[in-house]
Amino acid sequence: MKDKKGRILAVKWGLNPNSSSLGVDVTFLLLGAGALALLTPVVGALLRLRRVRGKKAAP
Amino acid sequence: MRTFRAEAFGGIVQLERPRALVFIDRDYARSLGHDGGARWSAPETALGARPLAAPLEAHLQLTNRCGAGCRGCYTGATPTGAAGEWGLAEWKRAIDALAKQGVFHLALGGGESAALPWLGDIAAHARARGLIPNLTTSGLEGLDRLVAIAPLFGQINVSIDGVGDVYARVRGFDGFARADAAVLRLRAVKKEIGLNCVVTRDSFDALGDVFAYARRRRLNEVELLRFKPAGRGERAYAALRCTDEQHRAFLPTVLRLSRRHRVRVRVDCSYTPMIAWHDPGAELLRQLAVYGCVGGDFLIGAKASGVMTACSFAAPPPERPRVDAIAAYWERDDAFAAFRGWRDAEEPCRSCPYHELCRGGCRVVSAHVAGSLRAPDPECPRVTSHRRHLPVLG
Repeated sequence: MKDKKGRILAVKWGLNPNSSSLGVDVTFLLLGAGALALLTPVVGALLRLRRVRGKKAAP
Repeated sequence: MRTFRAEAFGGIVQLERPRALVFIDRDYARSLGHDGGARWSAPETALGARPLAAPLEAHLQLTNRCGAGCRGCYTGATPTGAAGEWGLAEWKRAIDALAKQGVFHLALGGGESAALPWLGDIAAHARARGLIPNLTTSGLEGLDRLVAIAPLFGQINVSIDGVGDVYARVRGFDGFARADAAVLRLRAVKKEIGLNCVVTRDSFDALGDVFAYARRRRLNEVELLRFKPAGRGERAYAALRCTDEQHRAFLPTVLRLSRRHRVRVRVDCSYTPMIAWHDPGAELLRQLAVYGCVGGDFLIGAKASGVMTACSFAAPPPERPRVDAIAAYWERDDAFAAFRGWRDAEEPCRSCPYHELCRGGCRVVSAHVAGSLRAPDPECPRVTSHRRHLPVLG
């Protein structure tokens, strides 16, 4: 995942409503590392899309 | 909503859709146009090498009043609540301090926070300060008011520790029908409704019914919680805690049920030893931010009196810092020392390839069972296996 634009280190999915511990979505363990490797660029694209939209929205 | 927070390793970006916190290194943060300021003045560190600049989330026990009387209640909640409970003004001040520190999310609980007439004011104030409030409720009190303010919350989970008779076996009273009614009413006004389920040795074999129920009610997640020896749970712990065999079977069981019923599953941080035991790969868990004890780091708790704790189950630090003074306490070298000192571990944690993530398992279980917050989690399958193979001295 390393390139000149840096790395996504981790993604913590969802919101934790439980006031007694840190809940983590483990559903992705069903898919395995291969699927996660495919998902990471999608997250990256979303981050960059948001930046582009933010620039367009700026006066 | 807060969208970015600089960290020594880089930063954390919050996405609204899909809902996620994305941990990125400095190069990636720069490429998105972020500047880490003073937090990037020292050399870049690895994620986890030092505590975060602030918690990701704060767990606020807005009240310890609750009339349910569950036999395993980890806060020991009662109908009269705790001495010196904070009110709306104090909690708003705390939220201001948490927002200033850079916290992303709140998890509001109790007692039964839904019974508070000012819960909506708290949620609205959190939103106004850029924090996302989330809530756990029993569904047994304050439902009319909660339904009206449900859209203010990011995620609401109803505590349902079993379906039908199992609920009563775990909680000590039959509240399933009322909790189910609450689920139906909340789900009618909001999609992001899930359930929290404390797993006990008695309810483990009936987890399939919980997932089937969540599917039937179109809930978006099941969050599974390990039974903790705190509050009234201390007395009930020996009878309700899961067996070693159940802990070993936990991960494949819940993943099978998640797939079969097509319901997302979340597990609490104390289950990380039970996940790591199946060796799914440390890098995979790291990418999914699956950590063990992150009390006093990724999360903090606050008692109903405003005293800050490393997590909701833990006793306050000796200094008894208040959550509205988090800025002064967080950076101290000795802050949450018993929790942040996880690197100083005994075997078999010290040599475990997952220790950087798991951090020794649940400190509260260790304190209760092994007598030390720093002891390896005595219910971790790796720990129990290690101990069985130790020579018997005598």
